[in-house]
Amino acid sequence: MSLGSSSSAIHIQTASNGATTSPTRTIQKVTIHPVALFSILDHFLRRKDTQDRVIGCLLGTRTETEIEVHSCFAALHGELSNSSEFWLEDNYINSMYELHHKVHPKEVIVGWYSTGSTLDTYSALVHDHFEKSKTAPHPAVHVALNTGTEEGSKPGIAAYLSSPVGVSRKEPNCIFVPVPCEFQYNDAERSGVDLLVNSLSAGTSITNSASNLEVLESSIQTVMEMLDRVLAYVRSVIAGETKGDPSIGRYLLDTFSISTEGLDQGSFASTLQDTLMVSYLANLVRAQAEVSSRLQLVSA
Amino acid sequence: MATSMAAALAASIASAPSAHTAQAAAQPTYEPIPASMSKVIDIEAKIPLTCVQLDGLVVSKIVKHASSAPSFALGYLIGIDLDGVLEISNCFALPNVSDDDDTSSKSIAQYQKGMLAALKEVEPGDGIIVGFYQSNTLGAFYKQSLLDLQSIHRERLRHGGVVVVHDFTQASRGNAAFRAFRLTKQFHAEYRSGKFTTQSLMKNQLTFSSILEEIPVRVRTNPLLGAFLSTLTTPSSTTPASSFSPAAPSAALAPTFSSLDLAPQHMTSNLSNVLDALDEFKAEEGSLAYQMRNIVRDRNRANEHLLRRKEENALRVSQGLAPLPEEDIARLFKIQPEPSRLKSMLLLGQIDAYSQSLGSAASEGYVKMYSANAGNASA
Repeated sequence: MSLGSSSSAIHIQTASNGATTSPTRTIQKVTIHPVALFSILDHFLRRKDTQDRVIGCLLGTRTETEIEVHSCFAALHGELSNSSEFWLEDNYINSMYELHHKVHPKEVIVGWYSTGSTLDTYSALVHDHFEKSKTAPHPAVHVALNTGTEEGSKPGIAAYLSSPVGVSRKEPNCIFVPVPCEFQYNDAERSGVDLLVNSLSAGTSITNSASNLEVLESSIQTVMEMLDRVLAYVRSVIAGETKGDPSIGRYLLDTFSISTEGLDQGSFASTLQDTLMVSYLANLVRAQAEVSSRLQLVSA
Repeated sequence: MATSMAAALAASIASAPSAHTAQAAAQPTYEPIPASMSKVIDIEAKIPLTCVQLDGLVVSKIVKHASSAPSFALGYLIGIDLDGVLEISNCFALPNVSDDDDTSSKSIAQYQKGMLAALKEVEPGDGIIVGFYQSNTLGAFYKQSLLDLQSIHRERLRHGGVVVVHDFTQASRGNAAFRAFRLTKQFHAEYRSGKFTTQSLMKNQLTFSSILEEIPVRVRTNPLLGAFLSTLTTPSSTTPASSFSPAAPSAALAPTFSSLDLAPQHMTSNLSNVLDALDEFKAEEGSLAYQMRNIVRDRNRANEHLLRRKEENALRVSQGLAPLPEEDIARLFKIQPEPSRLKSMLLLGQIDAYSQSLGSAASEGYVKMYSANAGNASA
């Protein structure tokens, strides 16, 4: 799933630059896992009153063309409101990274994040610092998360790589080149996000953990709603009320013609028997366990 | 620890309507409460826990750790208790213990200290460990290690500490299941005595179902995260990307149907888990019965000996001789103490948990099969 708007920028990088000696290929995609995203938001929520934005360190894995951000941690930084002073606690990042490395040895520092979508001189300096001392020889990625708390700005994420600019190479001189940024999750992470989304729709921001059957019920409901929608559409096309879209028609044909041979009556009955048997066994074992534990109490 | 806890409480008390704390609430700057007073002021510890509240961040962190950890994931929960609700606002993972115990436990202690200090630097305010989280597969959380961990930390943690259990296999099937438990008082008393004999179990009415008591869990999403999530889940309008704003989402969170997967993924491993646990339980019961038989035999022999000695003594007394001592019997026949039934009890709990998850998987299976069949018939 893509997070940032698709930009029209062309990604060009000079290969013959003395500063980038490593033969790394250009990063083409940045993916972010929910944990990193939520941590950044939490960090932003807990910022000090004097801070306008928060800065932290991104951890993850990288391949030649892709950076995967698995998690992140907050960094200590401060800046004056008139942008005359800026500091970033480097020792803290190093010790935090060491701690993190003990639990997740595969994850390395891949870049840094900040909230708000402004890129200024300090962004360039911080980026340069990360690129030189943390992620060298690989390029660092900068993820700017717009929290949407300022008026007129939409919440969203953008990822940038830096590219040197100018005749003489100086730290504050660089272009932030946008990179496509996607939100990624595995099945387990997805169900965690679902849980949070459900807790949102409950209104009070609070829910109990649902049972498996409830989750199943809700997804069957969703499927039924989708079927109803499709049915209504097909009926209206047949009745001539709306003009049919051939691509939708072809898609529907593909979807509904999926073979269901495996579910013919014979295998259905046998699978049903298996499931019944398993369920019977499970209940029997539970009952036995309960009886056994009670008997231990009464037998002297 | 005491002063920091008191300071944290001073912050929490501000919202609690109490005549005693009105003065403290009126002061905008919180002065450190003296250690002698902290016990008196700690009213929160007296309110019984009714609920555990997980922050959205904690949910995602636990899920991530559980899915990336090689075996089972273990970590600390950080939070604060307020008005009977244990609010867990953050957590951190513990490194996997694989090396020899002595060095690793030391390094874990160091790690924990460093992590807590580091978190406190960024997020001042809360920062006391209130419990643990642990991931498991197919509902197997009755483990000796878990109970040991809980019992050791029971005195140190507030409300005796809670453990949040996350079932990873359920999460990968589409249901992120979190349950919170804590040790019951009976079990803790029994654990401290360390006996677990039939008599003491009977006295405390302790079965596997009364080792842990479940506390309801709720999930809280903070408003900022909620706003962000709702922008992710709202389908974006089909405006072209021409309006260039550097940070506007263009796609929504697509719905997932992983829970509708017809294949019973974990049925076989679940079944074999049940059978393994049953086997183990039978072996344990066998060895318990063997030990009990030995004890009974020894006791009978000792009793016989005692009877004989008594008869002999009666004879000696009638003959006017000094009676032989009867105390050395216990020394002669060393009667083994009754074996601990903790392990067998835990195994029973394990069996129960496994078969429960098996049962629920089977019941889900029906629903899926019938719905698939219905779809098939109508197609």
